Amino acid sequence: MPTNAVGREIPGTVAGRPLRPYQGAFATVPAGRRAGGPLKTIHPRANKVAPSLEDAIRRSGLRDGMTISFHHCFRDGDRLVLQVVEACARLGIGDLRLFPTALFPCHEPLVRHIEDGVLTRIEGSMNGPIGAFVSQGGKLREPPILRSHGGRWRAVACGEVEIDVAFIAASEADPWGNANGIHGPHACGPISFSVVDSWCANHVVVVTDHLVPYPAVPPTVEQGYVDQVAVVDQVGDPAGIVTGTLRITRSPTQLKIAELAVRAVEAAGLVRDGMSFQAGAGGISLAALEFLARRMRATGTRAAFAIGGTTRYLVAMLNEGLVGTILDGQAFDEEAITSLRVNPRHQPITPGFYADYNSLGCATYMLDFAFLGGTEVDLDFNVNVNTHSDGQLLHGIGGHQDVASGAGVTVITLPTLRGRVPMIRDRVTTVTTPGEVVDLVVTERGIAVNPRRPDLAADLRRAGLPVRTLAEMKEAADRLVGEGKKPVFGDEIVGVIQWRDGTVIDVVRKVEGWR
Amino acid sequence: MRPSREALAGTEERSDALVRVRPGRGLAVSVRTRTGPMYEEHIASLVRDALNEYGVEGAHVEVEEAGAYDHVILARLEAALSRSVGSEEPFRSPLPPPDRPPTSRNRPRRTRLYVPGGNARLLAFADSLRPDCLLLDLEDAVAPSEKDSARFLVRRALATMGFEAPELWVRINPLNAGGADDIALVAAGHPHGICLPKAEDPSQVLALADLLSSVEGLYSVPWTLWIMPIIESPRGVLAAADIAGASERVVGLAFGAEDYTREVGAQRSWEALLWARSQLVASAKASGVQASDTVFPNVEDEEGLREEARRARELGFDGKGVIHPHQIAIVHDAFAPSAAEVAWARGVVEEAANEGRGVVAHEGQMIDRPVLERAKRILEQLPEGTDAD
Repeated sequence: MPTNAVGREIPGTVAGRPLRPYQGAFATVPAGRRAGGPLKTIHPRANKVAPSLEDAIRRSGLRDGMTISFHHCFRDGDRLVLQVVEACARLGIGDLRLFPTALFPCHEPLVRHIEDGVLTRIEGSMNGPIGAFVSQGGKLREPPILRSHGGRWRAVACGEVEIDVAFIAASEADPWGNANGIHGPHACGPISFSVVDSWCANHVVVVTDHLVPYPAVPPTVEQGYVDQVAVVDQVGDPAGIVTGTLRITRSPTQLKIAELAVRAVEAAGLVRDGMSFQAGAGGISLAALEFLARRMRATGTRAAFAIGGTTRYLVAMLNEGLVGTILDGQAFDEEAITSLRVNPRHQPITPGFYADYNSLGCATYMLDFAFLGGTEVDLDFNVNVNTHSDGQLLHGIGGHQDVASGAGVTVITLPTLRGRVPMIRDRVTTVTTPGEVVDLVVTERGIAVNPRRPDLAADLRRAGLPVRTLAEMKEAADRLVGEGKKPVFGDEIVGVIQWRDGTVIDVVRKVEGWR
Repeated sequence: MRPSREALAGTEERSDALVRVRPGRGLAVSVRTRTGPMYEEHIASLVRDALNEYGVEGAHVEVEEAGAYDHVILARLEAALSRSVGSEEPFRSPLPPPDRPPTSRNRPRRTRLYVPGGNARLLAFADSLRPDCLLLDLEDAVAPSEKDSARFLVRRALATMGFEAPELWVRINPLNAGGADDIALVAAGHPHGICLPKAEDPSQVLALADLLSSVEGLYSVPWTLWIMPIIESPRGVLAAADIAGASERVVGLAFGAEDYTREVGAQRSWEALLWARSQLVASAKASGVQASDTVFPNVEDEEGLREEARRARELGFDGKGVIHPHQIAIVHDAFAPSAAEVAWARGVVEEAANEGRGVVAHEGQMIDRPVLERAKRILEQLPEGTDAD
């Protein structure tokens, strides 16, 4: 079987679909034109409001075998995906391809609809139970394709994925379908993931629980692309947005990693006026933000901008003047949503703006540095964020590939051990992000510098920081837990991991046993 | 060796393991692990090997682990076995020696971080922390019923973990209350020194020194084990000078204010403890050893800690106890010489070097031997990685 540029065996086709092997982070030269939805028109004072969600589905012309899309701005509080899939089941529509940006533990009831054949294909991030279910193999007609934020936008915008009906959850909408996610009783943040769906889908249904008189502003999703508006009791629960660890960690190990990460970028001369950075919402990233804010105060420096996922910690830096502008693709708590409403320097952006490979500008390309996590890293600096060491497909890609390939210095932060499972491996179980776009790996045992960056190694040594090789740190951790068994993978592919340009960087195979 | 009764050791907490030993026919090992098939066999064979090595027969062992490192599982197994056979004696064999450099007598000891010796999770955290002295505590941080299990864990942790802290200490229990058993086990892990709590009399130091001499040979400890007596009672404060001078092994005196305050009936304030602190510093310095201040108990109050550390340094202390990782940097910072002090010290040392033997002056101050010594001491206190330029 041919191997791609990170040495992974990629079959020529999967379920009849050809796969293009990954060639390098920026190797693909795009060709062709942008895709778009069908041309349509409307008469003045037409009525777009459907009597019910079920009516909207019926009127949309949704049939067996079609593709339905969703955004994940409500994260674990989403109520729309299940409502739509259940309505489809009632209407006798099946064999659907589900194309969400991401699924969360709240979507576990979808398992029944997969078993019943309502859903036969999924393309999108699967966080938790659906991923575990799919990992068992044999559940879907085609293996799921996982894409990064930018990768999904690209796939829609270039026609790689054709959406039949886009269902767009909006916390506020007007009768013509102007829709946003920052107003209304259940605000969830920018719903900008769905903008490209609205442009390109054959049919667009905005679903809201807060219908307001025309015009709803800001029109994140615009009326000109919306076929129907449906009103439901609740599209989502904002309490579910705050999943995972949106608090600064108290673990001394994680705090040490965060502090080392910040000292590393400072040693590289990147804590300076006009800098730009990205930090996510994981425990280590939040702690790193806090340390960074401290260093910025101490050195009197100001950042030009930061890219969210936004939390209250980043909002506080904006309000304090430490950060000039937040470019925000996703809100992770209520403070972030409020800030989006009131602060013009807190700017919502689309994945097209920050991450689309097929574009002439990604905000991530302007980043000086970024802190990212991972479930594993290997001696070639490849990072896995999708699977665990037991081979289970449990996480989406998020913006990992987009940010890592764009930032001047990409810093991966992770402990050497989670429980007794080592996180530095000879080879990662799955390559999500290739070592060629990773600069530093920071653990509690030191900082590994990618050999591509001797300049950084010199900076770090000069600052007296503990520069170690990944092999040294791996050995120190392995000594404490001995050698465990590794999963043995069969031939069945249960997931395809796309690089952001549409090539395949790895596939996830079904676990057959242990050795 | 056969277990005579059912015994249990360890906890179900994260990073720990619960090990149950039951008398039974033959040897049986069962493992429940959070990571499924990944480590099941590895842990089972780890336990089997240990049972064979100790010559255990007729035992059924159950291990339930929640992310425990290998040495934690072994330590809990040893504790359960010793409880089951009613003796720690069979489990005092030497361990493969850790690869650990020696330390020098007068090295900086700005911080000594107390880590509860019985807590596997906190020990795991401690691996990557860098206080000047890491102090694995078998005394106040360990419940009486867990003392035995904790000393097995500290022994294994010392022998196995890398520990980034440059100097490793164990605070044992008082010699008449388990301290001798502590030493009989933990010396196999080659710590650098032993903290002796409730020191009130030089004879206690001498008794400890004797014990240390014997275990050093038994376990091939590649250095002389230091002693740091903790002075934490009125009697101790009054005897501090004799305690400091009792043995060549003593490298410093530590102050423990909690017990002292209670025993003299004082409130814990700077004024109430000022005499005891001064007495302790003078006693230590009279014997040429270091003085280390008591811990600052309120971990939330960073300003209070900074201020108390600053005053302790002013009084002549060389360091201070800490009880939380975030206190380390604050105390290191407080004990770092100021920029002005460093500049002065460099000037003095330079002048002295330029002028050879004669009496010289720096900024109008005559440089005699004590002044030069003080300047050199300041430069020695500079943290590692500080360039000389």
